[in-house]
Amino acid sequence: MTTIRNEVLYRLYFVVAMMVIAAVVIFAKAVQISVLEGDYWREKSIDKYVQFRKLEADRGNILSSNGSLLATSLPFFDVAFDPNSSGMLESDFNKYIDSLSYCLADFVDPSFTPGAYRDFLIQKRQEGAQYVPIKKNVTFEQMKLIRQFPLFSMGQFKGGLIVMPKFRRERPFGLLAHRTIGYVREGITPVGLEGSFNQLLAGEDGQQLMMRVGDDIWKPIEDLAKIEPKSGQDVLTTIDIDIQDVTEEALYRAVDRHRAQYGVAIVMEVETGAIRAISNIGRTPEGNLWETYNYAVGSATEPGSTFKLATMLALLETGHVDLDDSIDIEQGRTKFYNDEMVDAYPHKLDSTSVQHIFEMSSNVGMAKLVQKYFGDTHKEEKFIEYLKQFNLHLKTGIEIEGEAAPYVKDAFDAKNGWSGTTLPWMATGYEVMLTPLQILNFYNAVANDGTLMKPYLVSETREYGNTLERFPPTVIKRKIASSRAIKKAQFLLEQVVLNGTAKKLKTDKYNFAGKTGTAQVNYKRLNDKTHVGGYQASFVGYFPAEKPKYSCVVLISEPKEFGIYGGEVALPVFREIADQIFATKLELQEPLNAKPAEPLVRSQLPDYNIGDRKEMEYLLKTFGIKYMSTEESPLVLLRAESDTLSLLPYTISKKRIPSVVGMGLRDALFVLENLGLRVEIGSGCGRVIQQSIKPGTPVRGQTVYLRLG
Amino acid sequence: MSTIGKRIYAELKGDRVIWMILAVLALFSILTVYSATGSLAYKMQGGNTEAYLIRHGFILMLGLIVTYLAYSVNYMRYKFVAPWLLMISVPLLIYTLGFGEEINNARRWIEVPFIGLTFQTSDFAKLALLMFVAREITRHNDYIKDFNKAFLPIIVPILLICGLIAPADLSTSIMLFFTCMLMMFIGRVELRYILLLMFLGVVVFAALVGIGRMFPDFVRVETWSNRLREFVTNPDGGYQVMHSKIAIANGKWIGLGPGNSTMRNYLPAPYSDFIYAIICEEYGLVGGFLILGLFILLLIRTTALVTKSSKQFGAMLALGLCLSMVVQALANMAVSVNLVPVTGLTLPVVSMGGTSVMFSCLSIGIILSVSRYVEQVSSQTDGEE
Repeated sequence: MTTIRNEVLYRLYFVVAMMVIAAVVIFAKAVQISVLEGDYWREKSIDKYVQFRKLEADRGNILSSNGSLLATSLPFFDVAFDPNSSGMLESDFNKYIDSLSYCLADFVDPSFTPGAYRDFLIQKRQEGAQYVPIKKNVTFEQMKLIRQFPLFSMGQFKGGLIVMPKFRRERPFGLLAHRTIGYVREGITPVGLEGSFNQLLAGEDGQQLMMRVGDDIWKPIEDLAKIEPKSGQDVLTTIDIDIQDVTEEALYRAVDRHRAQYGVAIVMEVETGAIRAISNIGRTPEGNLWETYNYAVGSATEPGSTFKLATMLALLETGHVDLDDSIDIEQGRTKFYNDEMVDAYPHKLDSTSVQHIFEMSSNVGMAKLVQKYFGDTHKEEKFIEYLKQFNLHLKTGIEIEGEAAPYVKDAFDAKNGWSGTTLPWMATGYEVMLTPLQILNFYNAVANDGTLMKPYLVSETREYGNTLERFPPTVIKRKIASSRAIKKAQFLLEQVVLNGTAKKLKTDKYNFAGKTGTAQVNYKRLNDKTHVGGYQASFVGYFPAEKPKYSCVVLISEPKEFGIYGGEVALPVFREIADQIFATKLELQEPLNAKPAEPLVRSQLPDYNIGDRKEMEYLLKTFGIKYMSTEESPLVLLRAESDTLSLLPYTISKKRIPSVVGMGLRDALFVLENLGLRVEIGSGCGRVIQQSIKPGTPVRGQTVYLRLG
Repeated sequence: MSTIGKRIYAELKGDRVIWMILAVLALFSILTVYSATGSLAYKMQGGNTEAYLIRHGFILMLGLIVTYLAYSVNYMRYKFVAPWLLMISVPLLIYTLGFGEEINNARRWIEVPFIGLTFQTSDFAKLALLMFVAREITRHNDYIKDFNKAFLPIIVPILLICGLIAPADLSTSIMLFFTCMLMMFIGRVELRYILLLMFLGVVVFAALVGIGRMFPDFVRVETWSNRLREFVTNPDGGYQVMHSKIAIANGKWIGLGPGNSTMRNYLPAPYSDFIYAIICEEYGLVGGFLILGLFILLLIRTTALVTKSSKQFGAMLALGLCLSMVVQALANMAVSVNLVPVTGLTLPVVSMGGTSVMFSCLSIGIILSVSRYVEQVSSQTDGEE
């Protein structure tokens, strides 16, 4: 008994001793790592070697109103190969390396022969390389192919395929609406829609653990900590590509022709406030034309004469002013205190009507009118109140960043330089500042029968083609002025085109309404004379005048050649845009067939046509022409009798030459050549009007001459 | 001591040192797993690390209950169920090989019907085999050196079970085989037979490699050779080993403190296979020594049971279960310090993982049950030899 027990115990102690020794060895090794080699390992731990790296999310698209891509992110891939991936089986590598090399040499890098590629990869595997660059900037289509290559198809872990996606922002339409679409770049304040909707467009970046394998080459490590990036949403804009194209094109040429500093043009849909086109053509420091700055939204200037609409609306709103009131305009030259005011267009009129003042854009007339009705100290405030009633003191609230605030002085605000001459000068569009968009929005409200809309550029956000959120049109103010005043203002704007400063460019194709503006910029008002640094030519209006669909502002700053006036510099651009829109937008045209259909007469009907029954019936049905059809047959003869059309069966004998008169050439050739006849075409085009061989002649392989007409 | 403390103290008989060991390991487990699941939680639960804390805490609680239940059962019962459990485990293992869930490229799990939990069948088979071997050794105790009557009945099931586990989980199989050999060695089986058994083991392994070459999906021969190649050829170790070493080095002597590990973000499976490295990083070499010491202490305490009743089934059972845990723990730690190639072995009790924790707790429960009875017997028959 004791011996057995002792034997067990000896063996047991032996085992325990072994375990303790093993434990000691393990601990010794831990001490070795932690203490003796500690510095070496801790050095390695610095995040230089392994980091969580950003996985860029697919940025959302910016779309035009009809879904065309204005800005999109194209995915590109850097492809590499890890020939020593921990999951790769020796057998797989050996099995597929030949075919993989063949594919790589064939499709990816033709400078290698398959054999050379193979040797290269085998060598890399033997060297213990973990990152062999294969190709950079591979397109999505190519990537799909590469993923199917032998070995690569097994993925990163088993197949060693390393794919690093990246994205490049592309603008399929180039410069089009460049500034409005904008951009987001590191270290620069984001611009335009890209900036304003960055949150939505950007999506959420993911992250993945990556190991550094070269200078700036990071190899992703497959593990659980990977967070997939979330793609950004698409932004559907209100931009109409066709209108935008026309607008930019016309503006560009005008800025170029007049050697202007910059130009702005905006087209807005009257009813909704949707911006259909927005263009800014500026100059780079080198003097080239480029979308350098979003003047349309970001730059408030003294509007000049286009502001007279606001002045006039305020006067009309008082109810004391009527269009045929007469006013003394002193031959276009008067003085307020020490400051002289002159009309831009010289004239010798002593007095004229309110309507004519507006048509001819008389500064003196407008200023004197305002002085007359708001000139008293206690009424000046009232004028400012009217401007505020028109919302001219507020931003429009467009989505993109950086809208400049309008500048409208408060009455008697000495700090802002309110003086005795402020009111008359304000009446003519000075001492007040508005952006082109703000001016346009005001005109749009007048066109829209007084309803002020919020201008907007984004109508929808989408994700994977599904609508996420819709942004409907927003009414800012139901009525900015009484209907009576609005109607008169609309009438005045139409008169400007018919009889006033814009009459040179009126057209009989459609009616438009608007107001020219020629403002002085960089001026100094001195006691004796005003020194003018340059002009700002503008035109704001809408069309068609009867039922306004689009409103548009064109502003060209500091033109230096071929004129300075709004009517000769800005208006042609407006006309060009309006003409193009008119020519291309069906909804603006009066429908030709709006009247009831006229009864058909025989002379207008097609007669004696032969053709395929299905095609014939399709045509007749498409045009809604009634017809009668008797029997079924593949070929039919179309006959017109009095006021009805009938389709008669048409059969072709195999033995006798048929009549092909009335057939189209294609059908005639088909019929005749199937009978073994040669066909020669004489002259003309259209249907067959004559054939050289009489119908009924037996078929003997003759040559038939056809005349078309 | 509070009344509750007294109650627990009165309730928990058996070796109180082993109870303590279990408590400390469980504490380390909850702390380290909570810290180490950070990146897993970020990925799977949207950053909700508490989800894993709660889950793991729940499993540990369940484990402690299992320990208590196993402790309450008279260990002699295990003697009778052992052959049955063994018989169940054979088809289970075969089923797992054929239709098991594949997790991380290895087919070791089956889904328990209706509950939806996965379950590592090798853990079950391991327990069954250890019980069975303990039973056989004591049953044939009188003629243990006989080849036909004692040796054969013991080794056939060992080879069968290990052979079935090996294709998907070589390290568990080798470890189990090794534990069985240790049990037989202590159980006085003839030395030359054990040498023969070792030889047989090599033969079975060679056969498996052969099968693996033919059916790569079935046996993970390539993974084994890759890991072995990496271990032999790369002195710094592969990615995992390198970061395990960095973690250990970061900890120095006293560690970075609980929850301050940085390598947990870089180490794959920091909550199971490489948890020892995280413990070393957060609690230093001192913490590493403590964990190592706890397992050695467990072994020494179990050894004491054998010295008290050398030929009993209970002692052999306790020893087998204890050896299995200690060998696995040592193997796990040896991987972390790069003494052996990378294996998928968890650190018993400490690592996250339902089946692993549950069976470790069950094992300790059985050991405690044995210790309770041995205590009773030795106090009753004090001085009797």
